[in-house]
Amino acid sequence: MLSLQHISKYYQVGGNKNFVVNDISLDVDEGEFVSIMGPSGSGKSTLLNIIGMLDEPNDGYHYFVNQPVHQLKEKQRAALYKQYIGFVFQAYHLIDELTVYENIETPLIYQDVKGSERKAMVADMLDRFQIVGKKDLFPAQLSGGQQQLVGIARALIAKPKLLLADEPTGNLNSKQGEEIMELFRKLNKEDGVTIIQVTHSEKNAEYGSRIINLLDGRVESSRKF
Amino acid sequence: MIRNYLKTAWRNLVQNKTTSFISMAGLAVGICSFLLLATYLTNELRYDRFNTNAGRISRLTFSYKSADDKEVNTTALTPTAPVPVFKQQLADIEDGVRVVNYSNMRAAVVQFGDKLFKEKKMLVADASFFKIFTFKFLSGNPATALANSTSIVLTASTAEKYFGDEDAMGKILKVDQKNSMIVTGVIEDVPEYSQIKFDMMGSYAMMPRSLNLAWSSSNDYSYILLKPGANREAVAKQMTDYINKDRPASGGKMWFGLEPLTRVHLYSTAGKGLEPSGNIKYVYILGFVAIVLLVLACVNFLNLVTARSAERAKEIGVRKVMGAMRGQLFVQFIAEAGIITLFSLIAGVLLLSALLPVFSNFTGQQLSLQTWNPEWLILALVTLFVVVTLLAGTYPSLYLSAFKPIVTLKGGSSMQAGGNMLRKSLVVFQFVVSVFFIISTIIAGNQLRYIQSLNTGINRDQVLVLDLGGMGYNQIESFKGEIGQQTGVLGSTASYDSPVNVGGGYSINTAEGKNADFNLSVTAIPVEKSFTKTLGIKLIAGNDLDLGDEQQVMDTSADKRRYSFILNEAAVKGMGWKPEQAIGKKIGLNGRMGTIKAVAKDFNFASLHEEITPIVMFPEYDWFGKLLVKTSGKNTANTIAAIASKWHKFYPNSPFEYHFLDQEFDAMYKTDQRTGGILTAFTVVTILISCLGLFGLAVFSTRQRIKEIGIRKVLGAGVASIAGLISFDFIKLVLIAIVISSPLAWFAMNKWLQDFAFRVSIQWWVFVLAGGMAALIAFLTVGYQSIKAALSNPVKSLRSE
Ligand SMILES: Nc1ncnc2c1ncn2[C@@H]1O[C@H](COP(=O)(O)OP(=O)(O)OP(=O)(O)O)[C@@H](O)[C@H]1O
Ligand SMILES: [Mg+2]
Repeated sequence: MLSLQHISKYYQVGGNKNFVVNDISLDVDEGEFVSIMGPSGSGKSTLLNIIGMLDEPNDGYHYFVNQPVHQLKEKQRAALYKQYIGFVFQAYHLIDELTVYENIETPLIYQDVKGSERKAMVADMLDRFQIVGKKDLFPAQLSGGQQQLVGIARALIAKPKLLLADEPTGNLNSKQGEEIMELFRKLNKEDGVTIIQVTHSEKNAEYGSRIINLLDGRVESSRKF
Repeated sequence: MIRNYLKTAWRNLVQNKTTSFISMAGLAVGICSFLLLATYLTNELRYDRFNTNAGRISRLTFSYKSADDKEVNTTALTPTAPVPVFKQQLADIEDGVRVVNYSNMRAAVVQFGDKLFKEKKMLVADASFFKIFTFKFLSGNPATALANSTSIVLTASTAEKYFGDEDAMGKILKVDQKNSMIVTGVIEDVPEYSQIKFDMMGSYAMMPRSLNLAWSSSNDYSYILLKPGANREAVAKQMTDYINKDRPASGGKMWFGLEPLTRVHLYSTAGKGLEPSGNIKYVYILGFVAIVLLVLACVNFLNLVTARSAERAKEIGVRKVMGAMRGQLFVQFIAEAGIITLFSLIAGVLLLSALLPVFSNFTGQQLSLQTWNPEWLILALVTLFVVVTLLAGTYPSLYLSAFKPIVTLKGGSSMQAGGNMLRKSLVVFQFVVSVFFIISTIIAGNQLRYIQSLNTGINRDQVLVLDLGGMGYNQIESFKGEIGQQTGVLGSTASYDSPVNVGGGYSINTAEGKNADFNLSVTAIPVEKSFTKTLGIKLIAGNDLDLGDEQQVMDTSADKRRYSFILNEAAVKGMGWKPEQAIGKKIGLNGRMGTIKAVAKDFNFASLHEEITPIVMFPEYDWFGKLLVKTSGKNTANTIAAIASKWHKFYPNSPFEYHFLDQEFDAMYKTDQRTGGILTAFTVVTILISCLGLFGLAVFSTRQRIKEIGIRKVLGAGVASIAGLISFDFIKLVLIAIVISSPLAWFAMNKWLQDFAFRVSIQWWVFVLAGGMAALIAFLTVGYQSIKAALSNPVKSLRSE
């Protein structure tokens, strides 16, 4: 599904290049469930952003569904993104001016889904995450965990083929976290959604079929189950 | 999708009440000002266009240059012959009409039963008048309304004044006690935007001079209706050729010109017309002001939106990650701009309809929403909506929609919101404009005050002007004697007309020591011997007129009649003499033979826009139009009442009317003053809008720096130091603006001043004052925010981070 070849990302600090992602090569097949782990600051989020085409590497080649991402224009990249990817952010990133309902609905709007259809899909999501009662609240009126749930619902609503999740359970209690992980597993197994998640929890990482450990921007180890 | 946009936009508005309000208030004020000025300009530009034939009507001008004149004199006044003669001779002329005040010197006294009024706006015109010009008849027939010498057409309100609800048609009005005039038509009141304004219109045939066709003695205004397709210039040339056909080559030259009717009001340079004209320059200036105000208001809006970009960066990032294309975001932000614009437009139009009556008063023009043609108004509003939305929305939309999602989501928004430089430039721009306006109004104000207070060589303070209307000199003499007894009256003198209205058309055509064909065009005024004394005109050589001079000109035998002339410096210079040399020289003024008795210091008898031209004052006692009464200025009301009661005793059939000479002088600068007033008003608006913008930015900047302020306070900074810190950031911008603006304003105002023959020099303190004002206003605007921020509780601001 995607292939990174010799990808590097660095920041110029003083005269030095400060590598955040250092020559990483990585292939992910369709239907995989990959967990990325590593200490804080090791470059996990950066790597995920590059995979999600939100960030651009300084070096290397990046192919996504056989398209050379490093050669695409912004518009083409956005189109690709819209078609394939759902993203769950470490910091939720909900739109403060929109209600829970509207936040979840937004991706559908940009994908030109019809109004009646949207309604059904959003209702389904609200139901699935048991937040029907919160649908008219604004993000500021939710707890951190609830915001995270909305963020996940929003990422899933457009039925992405690739789900990228940056610490999706970071703010959830262990029971909620477990439920989310079960949901991910189900999506992966039954719907064939490819998932790449960043996590600090060994237990959650093990839901995946492969665990990649990063250290200082390099792949330290990679295990497949 | 649109609903989603509108929803976000609406919530954004509500959430940021202060800044939304500032944006909208600024825009609304800007839009309102723009529309006010546009209404004013529409009114100026629609002048005379209501005439169906406007495109084919021209006003005739007459130019002449006598042999010894340096310049060509052009006037809109024409002799009696051109209209009837050219109408017959020239194939391209369809029709023509002579129009003139029934009396230039005074108001007509009109009587119906026991109703007696002085009518200042009575004109007379040839019978063709209502065929050429379009005035709506309520009763009567336009084609025949002025057919007889006794015909008179009234406007609706004049008819009502005399006859109330009764039908005016066929009623008989007595004009000046001698002429019985039959009402042959009633028309709708003449619109303000007609150069020919009148309350009653008589027939030109009632003027004695209508009987002979003369090519000299220019007293009428002539309008020519050309045949469709006729070439204006070609016709003017034919006229000029016609009049020069049998003239000897040696003498002066004459030209006829045709000014398009629709250009007379704003472009004419032909001097005095039926009414003082406007000035196309002021149309440009005010048009420029209108656009600048609108741009300023848009800049405000733009500034506040980009200032908020830091806060919106996250939303933009998320939306992009959700799959929003740049185009879609662009549309969203434009939609937001559109909503604000729409609200502002509505508020602006409401404000406009509330302010139009005030503005009408202020400008002395009849302005209302009716000034606009309804379709035009709608078109203007729609255009305004689109233009303002694009002007105010495009840049922020482009700017915001271009945000890179990853940068904004990582919280690096402040890095990207580097529109800081831009925002500062915009504030500088606004203040450049504001300071420019402040400087301009100060200088314009100075100049207007200057020309009004300038010692014009005439002591016109407390001089009353009474209408004599050609009363016999003996009667005037005894009336003068009576009021001379009155306390408060320092002196009085009769003259042909008020010194503001000195007439041209004279020339000195014989002079001692000059060639036989010597000819110098001058303005001249028949006066009484006490003229210079009463008006305080200084003599620099020779002696004032005395009883002997009076007796000489009163000599009934034309042969023995001798004139004593007073020339001004300019006239003496025109003759090529020194003041002392001139005394005793023999000259002839249009056949009046005599000697130069005195030379007067130059004094202003015309607008100070113009240089002082040659003038000759001479005693001539056969016709006096005005009595100038110099009063002491103490207890003026009593003095006037006393004069009035004497007047009624002397002239029981003539209403007593007076005005001050000062008013006549002021009237010459009406357009200047009006524009000055408008400029002042809109300078205030400019400052207001700029301050709104500055205030908005101060709100943001303090909000953004709230954490910094908190930390500084915790570290021990005092309120004053923090308030100073924030204020200085803004004051700095204003200082930069002052530096940029001053030379621009200096340049522009220098140009404007060139229009005045008498002008102030631009003083350095004007710039200091303007700069100081701008800085002070900016400080007051920002200071409040700064102090509020400085007083805020640091714990609160830090915790919320
Ligand atoms: N704009 C930037 N300039 C310089 N360095 C940066 C910038 N953005 C990120 N970094 C550095 O890149 C490194 C990797 O950041 P990243 O967010 O990928 O870490 P992470 O592995 O996701 O950590 P965490 O587990 O805390 O979320 C960090 O050391 C950070 O300091
Ligand atoms: Mg991270």
